Amino acid sequence: MHKSARAVALVCVLLGQIIVHAQEFKLLDRTVQVHGFASQGFVYTNDNNWLTMDTSDGSAAFTDFGLNMSAPINDRLRVGAQVYDRNLGQLGQYHPSLDWGFADYRFKRWFGIRGGKVKTVVGLYNDTQDQDFLRTFALLPQSVYPTDLRDATIAHLGGDVYGNVSLPQKLGDLFYTAYMGHRRDSLYSGATYIATQYGIHGSTYGGLQYGADLRWQTPVTGLLIGASRLNENVTDRGNFLNPLNPAAGAFPYAAVSRADWMNQFYGEYTWGKLRIDTEYRRFLHDQLISPLAVETITDVRGWYVSATYRVMKRLAVGSYYSRYAITSVAGGSLASLFPEQTDTSLPANHIYDKVITARIDLKRYWNVKAEGHFMDGYGASSYPDGFYPGVNPQGYKPNTNALVLKTGINF
Amino acid sequence: MRMTHRQEIATRGPRALRLVAVLVIFVIFGWAQAIGGEVKVIANRSVKADAITAGDLKRVFLEERIALGDGTHVEPVLEKDGPVHEAFLRECLGGTDDDLQNYYRALVFSGRGSMPKQLGSDEEVVAYVENTRGAIGYVSARTNTEKVKTLVIGDDSNHGERKLIRRVEPNYPETLKRLGIGGTVRLQVTISAKGNVENVEVLGGNPILGEAAINAAKQWVYAAGHSRSVVEINIPFDSQR
Repeated sequence: MHKSARAVALVCVLLGQIIVHAQEFKLLDRTVQVHGFASQGFVYTNDNNWLTMDTSDGSAAFTDFGLNMSAPINDRLRVGAQVYDRNLGQLGQYHPSLDWGFADYRFKRWFGIRGGKVKTVVGLYNDTQDQDFLRTFALLPQSVYPTDLRDATIAHLGGDVYGNVSLPQKLGDLFYTAYMGHRRDSLYSGATYIATQYGIHGSTYGGLQYGADLRWQTPVTGLLIGASRLNENVTDRGNFLNPLNPAAGAFPYAAVSRADWMNQFYGEYTWGKLRIDTEYRRFLHDQLISPLAVETITDVRGWYVSATYRVMKRLAVGSYYSRYAITSVAGGSLASLFPEQTDTSLPANHIYDKVITARIDLKRYWNVKAEGHFMDGYGASSYPDGFYPGVNPQGYKPNTNALVLKTGINF
Repeated sequence: MRMTHRQEIATRGPRALRLVAVLVIFVIFGWAQAIGGEVKVIANRSVKADAITAGDLKRVFLEERIALGDGTHVEPVLEKDGPVHEAFLRECLGGTDDDLQNYYRALVFSGRGSMPKQLGSDEEVVAYVENTRGAIGYVSARTNTEKVKTLVIGDDSNHGERKLIRRVEPNYPETLKRLGIGGTVRLQVTISAKGNVENVEVLGGNPILGEAAINAAKQWVYAAGHSRSVVEINIPFDSQR
C-alpha cells in the first residue's frame, strides 16, 4: 500500500476509535449527544464534466461534513443543531451553514411541533440526502434528488407539526408532517452557479415554502407508501450583465414565482436483506422575469426504481434506474431569447441513468463505495441538472459513463 | 448369524458417533431456539403499565412513542449485539441490526431523535433500567430482574391494557394486618376474549396475601377484547390503612 494511503487509513481508524467513544457528555445534568460525519469522493467520467467538477480528468472536489449536538430539556422537549459544509466542484465551496437547529416539543404521539430551522420532509430521502452512510448508493438518483439543487428543498426556517396514529383494524400506522417557513438558498448552489453563466449574478434567492408529507406503514410487513407536496413562492434577485453587450452595464434583475410546486409519490419495500424503493417527482416552476417581462415555465419529471441487497455483514450491493426529463417554454415579448425545449427524446432534455454499486463497511463507522453510472442524455443547459456549460465549454456528448468512489465516516 | 465382538464394536461405533452428532446438533439448535424465544422485556419501576402491546413496544424502540397511554415517559435501551439482541430484533422489531442503526442515524442527523443507549450485556441493561426513569429494555429470560419490572407483551388488538370493568378488593387477613405484615403481591392474570379471568398465578409476594389476591382477582371482569391476553398486575396490601 502507498505510504500516504496507509497514513490516511491509520488516521481514519484512530479517528474512528476516538469518536465512537466520545458521543455524549453531561451539561447541567442533561445528556448532550454529539454526532458527526464526513465523506470524501472521487468522480471520473469518460465524456462530459459532471456535477460542476472537472470529472473527465478525475476530480476529488467532492467533500462534505457535518457536526451536530442535541439534548433533551425534559421528557417532551428536545433541542439541537447541526452545522454542514461541503465542496462539490463549484458548489458549496466550503461555506458552512446551519443545516438544522430547532426545538422539538412532543405533546402526544399524534401531535408534536418543531420550530427553528427544520429539515424539510419530502419523499423518502430529502431530509437525509447528505447522510450518504445511511444508504448503499454513493449518489442518490439525481432525477429525484439532484445534489446541485440540494439548497432548494433541504430545510426551511419556520415550523412543523407532526405525529403518527395507528389505524383501526390493524391497518397500519399513518405518519404526517406539515410545515411552513422561509427557504433561503446558498449563493453557492447549482441554481446560482448556472445563472452566472448567463450573466446573472444573484444576491438573494428564497421565499415562502409550505407543504406536507403523509406516509402509510401498511399492514403488509415492510411496505411503506407515501406522498409529499411542496408549494413555494420564491424570488431570485440580482444583477444582469448582458455578455453580448457588457458596455451597457449591469441592471437589477428579479425572477418571481407565479406557480412553484412539487409533488412526490413514493414506496419502499423491505424483505429481509432486500430493499426496493421507488419514487416519482414532478416539479413545476413558473416564473416572471423582470424587467424583461418574460415568463418561463419549467416542468421537471423524474422517477427511479432501486434495489439493494446486503450480501453479508460488511458487503451490500445495489442498482437503480433513474429517469429524468425536462421541458421549458417561455412567453412574453422577449421569449425568443429563451428557446423552447419540449422534445424529451432529445439528450438535451433528458438524463437516463443506469447505476450499479457496491458498499463495503470496513468498520461500523467507516464505509467505502464504488459506483458506476451509465447515462444517456445531459439535460438542459439552462437548468441545474448535473451538466453545466461552464465546465463543458466544448459542448456535450450524448452519453456519459461515470465512476464514483466514495468513503465516509460517521459517529 | 451372530456378529463377532469386533464386528459389534465396528457397527456400534458409527451408530454411537451418529447418536452423539444428532445429540450435539439437537443441543446446539435447541439452545439457539431457546435463546430466540426467551427474551423478556423489562422496565424501570416508574413505568406504571404492567403490559405493553407488541406494536407499542416497537414504537417505543423506534422512538415514535415517548410516553405510554397512561402518560408514563419511556425511553428504549438496547443491547449492542449478541443472541438476545438478535432475538429481540427478529421477534419484536423485524429487520436487521444495520437497518435499525441506520434508522437511528437518520433520526439523529435530521434532528428528529437521539441515539438510544446501547449496552454490552444483560447485567448492564438491568442496571441501567433500574436506575433510569422510564427506561425499557430487553434481556435474556434467565437474567435476574428482581430490581426492575417485567412487562407482559400483549396482543395489539386489545392494546395490552385490558380495561377493568369490575374490581373486587382482596380480603386482607385481619391477623396479618394487625401484625403489620403487608407488601405487594404480583399476579399474572389470564383474561379471556370475553373479559373473564381464566387463570391467576402468583409471581411474587407473601403467599397468604397471594391467596387473598387470587380470590379477589378471579372475580374481576374486564372489557371484551379480540383475543385472550395475559397481564401482570400488582396488588398492594398496606397494613397502615
